[in-house]
Amino acid sequence: FKREEFRNCHQTPFCKRARSRSPGACTLTPHSISISNGDLTAKLLSKTDEQIRPLILSLSVYQDGILRLKIDEDYNHPDPPVPKRRFQVPDVVLPEFESNKLWLQRLSTETVDGESSPSTVVYLSDGYDAVLRHDPFEIYIRDKKSGNQKLISLNSHQLFDFEQLRVKQEKQDSDNNEDSGSDDNWEERFRSHTDTRPYGPQSISFDVSFYNAEFVSGIPEHATSLALKPTRGPGVEKDSEPYRLFNLDVFEYLNESPFGLYGSIPLMISHGKEGRSAGFFWLNAAEMQIDVLGDGWDAESGIELVKQKSIDTFWMSEAGIVDAFFFVGPEPKDVVKQYTSVTGRPSMPQLFSIAYHQCRWNYRDEEDVENVDAKFDEHDIPYDVLWLDIEHTDGKRYFTWDPVLFPNPEEMQKKLAAKGRHMVTIVDPHIKRDDSFRLHKEATEKGYYVKDASGKDFDGWCWPGSSSYLDMVNPEIRSWWGDKFSYENYVGSTPSLYIWNDMNEPSVFNGPEVSMPRDALHHEGIEHRELHNAYGYYFHMATSNGLLKRGGGNDRPFVLSRAFFPGSQRYGSVWTGDNTADWDHLRVSVPMILTLGLSGISFSGADVGGFFGNPEPELLVRWYQLGAFYPFFRAHAHQDTKRREPWLFGEKNTRLIREAIRVRYMLLPYFYTLFREANTTGLPVMRPLWMEFPSDEITFSNDEAFMVGSSLLVQGIYTERAKYTSVYLPGKELWYDIRTGAAYKGGKTHKLEAKEESVPAFQRAGTIIPRKDRLRRSSTQMVNDPYTLVIALNSSQAAEGELYIDDGKSYEFLQGAYIHRRFVFANGKLTSINLAPSSSSKSQFSSKSILERIILLGYSPGPKNALIEPANQEVEVELGPLMLEGGRGSSVVTIRKPAVQVSDDWTIKIL
Amino acid sequence: SPVVPKNPFLGIPPQDENYYKTSSNTIKCKDGSATFTKAQLNDDFCDCPDATDEPGTSACPGGKFFCRNAGHAPLFLFSSRVNDGICDCCDGSDEYDGQVKCPNTCWEAGKVARDKLKKKIATYKEGVALRNKEVEQAKAAIAKDEAELSKLKNEEKVLKGLVQQLKELKEQIEKAEERERLQKEKEEKERKEAEEKATGEKSAIQREANEGQIEEKIDNEDKDVESAHDEIGVLDDSPAHQDVVDEYADHGAEDETSGDSKIEGSPVSKVEQHEGQKDEESVSTKTKDDSTHVHEINHDAGNEVSHDQPMEDGKDGSTDAEGLSKEELGRLVASRWTGNPEKETEGVSDTMDNDHEDNEKMAQDTHDEEYDGYASETDDDTGKYDDPDVEDDIDETYEDDVHDDATASYKSDAEDEVEFSDTTSPGNPSWLEKIQQTFRSILQAFKFFQTPVDKSEAARVPKEYDESSAKLSKIQSRISSLTKKLKHDYGKEMEFYSFYDHCFESKQNKYVYKVCPFKEASQLEGHSTTRLGRWNEFEDSYRVMVFSNGDKCWNGPDRSMKVRLRCGLKNEVTDVDEPSRCEYVALLSTPALCIEEKLKELENKLDLMNKEQPQSHDEL
Repeated sequence: FKREEFRNCHQTPFCKRARSRSPGACTLTPHSISISNGDLTAKLLSKTDEQIRPLILSLSVYQDGILRLKIDEDYNHPDPPVPKRRFQVPDVVLPEFESNKLWLQRLSTETVDGESSPSTVVYLSDGYDAVLRHDPFEIYIRDKKSGNQKLISLNSHQLFDFEQLRVKQEKQDSDNNEDSGSDDNWEERFRSHTDTRPYGPQSISFDVSFYNAEFVSGIPEHATSLALKPTRGPGVEKDSEPYRLFNLDVFEYLNESPFGLYGSIPLMISHGKEGRSAGFFWLNAAEMQIDVLGDGWDAESGIELVKQKSIDTFWMSEAGIVDAFFFVGPEPKDVVKQYTSVTGRPSMPQLFSIAYHQCRWNYRDEEDVENVDAKFDEHDIPYDVLWLDIEHTDGKRYFTWDPVLFPNPEEMQKKLAAKGRHMVTIVDPHIKRDDSFRLHKEATEKGYYVKDASGKDFDGWCWPGSSSYLDMVNPEIRSWWGDKFSYENYVGSTPSLYIWNDMNEPSVFNGPEVSMPRDALHHEGIEHRELHNAYGYYFHMATSNGLLKRGGGNDRPFVLSRAFFPGSQRYGSVWTGDNTADWDHLRVSVPMILTLGLSGISFSGADVGGFFGNPEPELLVRWYQLGAFYPFFRAHAHQDTKRREPWLFGEKNTRLIREAIRVRYMLLPYFYTLFREANTTGLPVMRPLWMEFPSDEITFSNDEAFMVGSSLLVQGIYTERAKYTSVYLPGKELWYDIRTGAAYKGGKTHKLEAKEESVPAFQRAGTIIPRKDRLRRSSTQMVNDPYTLVIALNSSQAAEGELYIDDGKSYEFLQGAYIHRRFVFANGKLTSINLAPSSSSKSQFSSKSILERIILLGYSPGPKNALIEPANQEVEVELGPLMLEGGRGSSVVTIRKPAVQVSDDWTIKIL
Repeated sequence: SPVVPKNPFLGIPPQDENYYKTSSNTIKCKDGSATFTKAQLNDDFCDCPDATDEPGTSACPGGKFFCRNAGHAPLFLFSSRVNDGICDCCDGSDEYDGQVKCPNTCWEAGKVARDKLKKKIATYKEGVALRNKEVEQAKAAIAKDEAELSKLKNEEKVLKGLVQQLKELKEQIEKAEERERLQKEKEEKERKEAEEKATGEKSAIQREANEGQIEEKIDNEDKDVESAHDEIGVLDDSPAHQDVVDEYADHGAEDETSGDSKIEGSPVSKVEQHEGQKDEESVSTKTKDDSTHVHEINHDAGNEVSHDQPMEDGKDGSTDAEGLSKEELGRLVASRWTGNPEKETEGVSDTMDNDHEDNEKMAQDTHDEEYDGYASETDDDTGKYDDPDVEDDIDETYEDDVHDDATASYKSDAEDEVEFSDTTSPGNPSWLEKIQQTFRSILQAFKFFQTPVDKSEAARVPKEYDESSAKLSKIQSRISSLTKKLKHDYGKEMEFYSFYDHCFESKQNKYVYKVCPFKEASQLEGHSTTRLGRWNEFEDSYRVMVFSNGDKCWNGPDRSMKVRLRCGLKNEVTDVDEPSRCEYVALLSTPALCIEEKLKELENKLDLMNKEQPQSHDEL
């Protein structure tokens, strides 16, 4: 990590300026408040004369308690006119979201108790109003049920500032020469790089407050705790940096840092004691810096202090407009649902892609691939995907193959595909500037590259050396790019090949902060500074759409991306980039993935084993044991590291890793069901404990354990040679160790022996988890295998759970071709209920799979038989193991071979 | 409903059939943990934790499925392969749930396998014979080496005594001569003083002229000596040829004490060092030509960082980066991830650390080569002091040697052996006796010598001393190398004895890999050599040769190499690979691995395969 290569806030003029503002500085007030197009609109004017043009404000209300605020320049203003349209990020807000808009009919004006100026009030949803206070200008949501307490607000501390676009004038320039400070306005230097700013400074900043909150979370990506620590205020070090959102390729990133990493999602979620959550999302793709202000940060300001307890935050962005969304919750799950109703639900992944991935920089050649593949079989370890990093290409020209190392790529893929396995190759956004490379030639001729400030094709350095970068914000270029993935164009690709997008921040080795200059120019004159954080998103989108096209629209794309932005969940999975093989990075992977999940990106994971460095076998094993519960489960390693395939660390470690991977395969039906839940509701697969137990305060600071769905709690082990580990199990119900079946009380911290066989994992009483206990070479061969249901009974001897099944590959499920069952156990009877729409649709999905075993945890042994209806058949009830292999507990009540079809309606009554 | 095989005993190996075909209705799980009924055998539900009850289904995760594969070799599968839609057994018995049809391919596959096995057996047969011969030869060679060693040790003892006596004698003579000279000088002085006024200046001129002549003579002799000698002369600024020879002798003596590794402090090593530096210089110049900018980075780095310190150390590196061109900066940042940007960016040159390391490496290598060359040439050279016939002998063998060099396998440090080929050959008159004789005659002549010394006799003593001590140091170095050679572990039957002086080469793309058992393994690219490892040991019952502690890898471990051995008719390195960064693996086929027991095993396997005729394949 090289701190000095990256700008800190002090070296970033807009951040420095914004941070030096004091509360009460904003002089804007709304005028001409009216309804137009179903929105509240107003002009924001300054009480003083500093403003060169009015700003236009609009407030829109959407279903489910979502308020949208936009503030932009007045493009109709004659003098001085706005020299250029500010960038408003397209392609992120779902088109269908607009149809959720509630057309405002009426505005009411009232003067809130104790205030001198009136406010305009708009109905938001049942129990919530949106309020626009006139002077001082403030926007907030109030909760009518709690006596009109504020829930969330903007500009309560009057830190709002909006630097308007101007045109540099010669005269002005010479005038300014006396004032050395304003040089910043038209040019910025950082290290050897100069950023020309043709429109002067254009930053926006404001404060946002979350009321009755205990902590705030979100704004990935940072390698830090789930609950965000204050960055300013009493007790915080003076030089403490704000959380930075600026997509960067950071070499050997640090743990515990507010530093910006590969992706950015400006979504913050607050959570408080009554289990209440609220959310704030600012759709803006420019560099952002966010301060979380510690209690008492504004003690010295003269303005009237907010009386209600709140967590205040300060948001600063270099460019763009205000396009902000407020989410009322009230529960954490509601906020995530609301946010993903704006930016989209996670796409439904193919089944294979949620299984285990084996990656390394690099699997050297076809022989290497064959050997690694064979070794998995030799050790009976399942895996689904083998990955090829940059070295597989012919000189880092993507879509090509090294002719010596990979002379027969199709044959290689077919060999893997014969075992149901897939392959992923890397395709990065930097294109080698080589005239003999067709892609480059074509892109040059068509003018498809991002331009530098002078209008020439931007030329930066990356893996291939001198490279140019496609301007993916242009839909025409995205479509052209997408076509490159056709089997015809991507020579050597087959239907079992999928794609990995790396370096899409974009990483430019010789650029400022290892990225693209801010004054580079995109489609329609968009400055790179305005869309930087969305560059990788567009690249991911283009690739994903390319694969979609390749498969005739009926093959779900799998594209892994390193850079991300709001909406990335629609295009594939992301991972936490180049982590390091140490215990701290293992530990921080959990809050990182949890934060991504809260921000809509459910399908994410960290490199198992750590990218840089060589993990001790113990660390590697612990990482597999934890990583088996990541939504995206992939091992990866830097090319300088020693080989670390699962069988290289002695028999015992091979066994431990095999068991860790096998647990994932057993739980695939459960995971797949959760991915479907994410796909329909936005709820993440991997969740913070407080998402499932929102009013349990002990969970608020816990980011070392997590929930997989609502039924499984996993606690990582993050220290070497740990003898014991503490696990807090929330709630009032029991929890069952998933390997031993041992029961633990909820609402308690348990000190447990740290076993080498696994990290602690528990099934919550009252839930039913579907498993497939037969292990195969890959998930592909498990399709017809029978299911096991593990029923953990709660204190009222009841439980329920779901199972979703489809073909694991196509979009037929959108036409209703899927099986969705709810299993309910109550009164000694298990019932399978259909959740899928009745089969009027043309598409049908059927499964040959049966139920081979039902395990009851928390059921006292004794019964010998169970009756299956409607077949009217009796089956045996006996004592059996909880896990066929690797389980270490006492026997549990097992219904042997009920043999009912998983797709049917039936009941099983214990006699 | 569950998928149950038609044959209740599917997946059971013949030796286990009795276990299952019992008359009782219950069967024990093999681990004794439980029992199951006959109806539960292969009923597609796992009842035994050890999978005893489900040999023919996939119900138990730990199970093994046996397929008979009549016509081919029988096979055990993981139960996870049963009914997974993939045909694993050539008789198709692992797939019976109807989702896939597996034709019986055992006879065809078996034929291929049998042919392959037959070929392998043929190779083994021939290989075993070669190996036996090799073992025999090794035994003889060891006996010969041991005999030579003991003989040399005797000679060393005798010669040591002689040299000591000669040394004393030489010193006596020198003292006597010194006395004589002083005496003469004194007389001369007196005479000069007497004649001083008359002839003073003339005598001075005379003396200068004399000295000039001597130097000229030395120069001429030097021209005969090979270049390395030249270097010594020049570098050491040694005025007299005599000194060179002395030092050369010293070298030999040190050689004895410090083995053949490092010779520190001797003039010879000075030469090496100097050579090394020279080389380093020329290498960096070359690099500079290839890629100016890199050298410049290097150069810049040198300003702030000491030359040895790698540049990865953050601050310096990035402060430095300020002054770089865009391209340099790109390369620099790329190199963080790659370590070796040359690999990543195709022919683009290294960054500083790497570059530096390479320079050192290259210097080191050239140095090594230089040293070898020097040793051989001097050996050759000293031959000139020996019998003329011996010299011829050397030249001949040496040439043979050179010829061998051209082939993939060749003798490396063979000089010593060649040099001494005469010493052990019984046909030659014993040189030791000759020396002894000479010595006796000298002793006789000097038994009662007095001043003034008989000049012709006195001249013989230092010459004899020089020759004998040179001979002694050669014997000692030969003893040391023989001892070292005999110390190694050459396998159970000494089958690797002939590997000692051999290197095996393999060309893979732009690299040449050179494996020298008991010494080192290296990678050659053009003139640069990277040491992949020094000899460590055999592993895995003599099936793997391990070379470790090779050159340091940037951002990685020290290089190492494992050479897997397998039976083949020729000693041949194939398939060098680097599966993990800086960890190399090579394959060496050699008759030494063609072991008789293994041959029998293969023959048995073939017999078995031949017995299993196809017609029996559907009987289960």
